[in-house]
Amino acid sequence: MEDPIIHIENVVKHFDKVAALRGISLDIMRGEVVVIIGPSGSGKSTLLRCINRLEEYDEGLIVVDGIPLNSAENINTVRTEVGMVFQQFNLFPHLKVIDNITLAQRIVRKRPKAEAEKQAYDLLEKVGIPDKAQAYPWQLSGGQQQRVAIARALAMNPKIMLFDEPTSALDPEMIQEVLDVMLNLAKEGMTMVVVSHEMGFAKAAADRAILMDEGYIIEEALPEVLFTNPKHERTKLFLSKVL
Amino acid sequence: MENIDGGFAPEKGGAATRSGFSFDRGWLLVIAVVLTITALIVSRPDPFKRIFFFVQDGIWVTISVTVISFLLMLITGLIVALLRLTKSAFIKAVATSYVEIIRGIPLLVQLLFWYFAFPTVIQSIGKALRFSLFENYLANPVAMAVVGLTFCYSAYMSEVYRAGIQSISKGQMEAARSLGMSYVQAMRYVILPQAVRVILPPVGNEFISLLKDSSLISVVAVADMTRRGREFMAANFIPIETWVMVALLYLIMTLVAARVVHWIEIKTRLEK
Ligand SMILES: Nc1ncnc2c1ncn2[C@@H]1O[C@H](COP(=O)(O)OP(=O)(O)OP(=O)(O)O)[C@@H](O)[C@H]1O
Ligand SMILES: [Mg+2]
Repeated sequence: MEDPIIHIENVVKHFDKVAALRGISLDIMRGEVVVIIGPSGSGKSTLLRCINRLEEYDEGLIVVDGIPLNSAENINTVRTEVGMVFQQFNLFPHLKVIDNITLAQRIVRKRPKAEAEKQAYDLLEKVGIPDKAQAYPWQLSGGQQQRVAIARALAMNPKIMLFDEPTSALDPEMIQEVLDVMLNLAKEGMTMVVVSHEMGFAKAAADRAILMDEGYIIEEALPEVLFTNPKHERTKLFLSKVL
Repeated sequence: MENIDGGFAPEKGGAATRSGFSFDRGWLLVIAVVLTITALIVSRPDPFKRIFFFVQDGIWVTISVTVISFLLMLITGLIVALLRLTKSAFIKAVATSYVEIIRGIPLLVQLLFWYFAFPTVIQSIGKALRFSLFENYLANPVAMAVVGLTFCYSAYMSEVYRAGIQSISKGQMEAARSLGMSYVQAMRYVILPQAVRVILPPVGNEFISLLKDSSLISVVAVADMTRRGREFMAANFIPIETWVMVALLYLIMTLVAARVVHWIEIKTRLEK
């Protein structure tokens, strides 16, 4: 069997006395799309943030594309291979859309300006807003901002994309435009870990769905199975609240 | 000095409007002060013209000491702020202690220390080590004044920087780091450019405080405007005229600085 691109083994994470992750083990294969659901405070964000080391974990091991996350050097290498999209977009407000997308390419990847801009325009085309390159983030709708954020992450040519509730800060009418971009990405074979309660997306794109609660993985299954016919009481309870 | 948004804080929703240039009425006061000085000099050359020419070289000392100290503290203040924001508990504790200690000691006492005590310390060390460069060390009043002002104001300046950096949401640093930027790159390209807009007005107010506090260096042998005023008074004994003139000269400098701060604030606000 092929090696997993993300290997998570018994990861434990505390914030002071609060246990956020209590022994998570999870393997994610190349090209796999995994959706994580679970109640607020169950540790979903913390798990994603441990994968690119925005958060340090206390115990266990995470290996990303064969690189164990231990030294500072490895962390930066891994971060360039893992793109992350945040709930609050986190675009750089002082930079135009085009500069948002080229900044890291230029100073991290050391790409020449022309090449970085070509990449940026291609990606803006791909996320459906080629005409917004010269706009500032505040001039865009939430959905457009999130699509720029996706383009910005993709510009680094990551092997893995992490999404932390990418649509929960959006007005309902803008959710679909972002999900469409993510669906396309999934079709192209990107490895994706998505924290989202959008069942439509999960059913259409995900290979696996995972329910987390109180720092544990409670259940994992095919999305259709997890959403319609879960085994565990806690999953049922959670789904009854969300649906 | 404690009050960052002190008396010179630009009034909210000031004279400028979104549609193009509009005259900042604060300049009227500047013009009024200039006219007052001119009127005094023209109508009563003796003593006002004499006072003006006597303190004139002190004006340049005041301005240059203020500007040099200010430029230095822009850098040192930033360094202290960054040290206070590091993860290392030890470095953080050292930087925090520095700020707390400095803020607990009057500036005048600090200046007296740098001018009178510090050279003695250096000389004693020189004697102990038989190091002649230190043994024969003599304090240069202007240099010690700059050191004293910078050392003190860096602490206040670091607080301004720190507040500015902390006003930028944590998500900005995380987004930058998640794109593979190092901490330094993220600071330089993402956090500081945003923080600068927030801190420009309070930094300007620090400059105005510094300009006024620089009058304290007159007690450590620096021939600034205040000291020249004292010398003039000692020779001529016309206190009212002397101190009115010196006060007006300080006032014009601080008012002009306040207008510049106001202008910068309007500029950066409109760019939002
Ligand atoms: N920076 C932090 N400092 C202290 N506690 C934290 C921090 N981040 C998360 N926690 C705690 O860790 C636990 C897991 O948080 P996490 O954000 O991972 O949950 P989540 O599943 O993403 O929740 P949500 O759906 O609300 O985003 C919670 O109890 C939370 O309060
Ligand atoms: Mg979360």
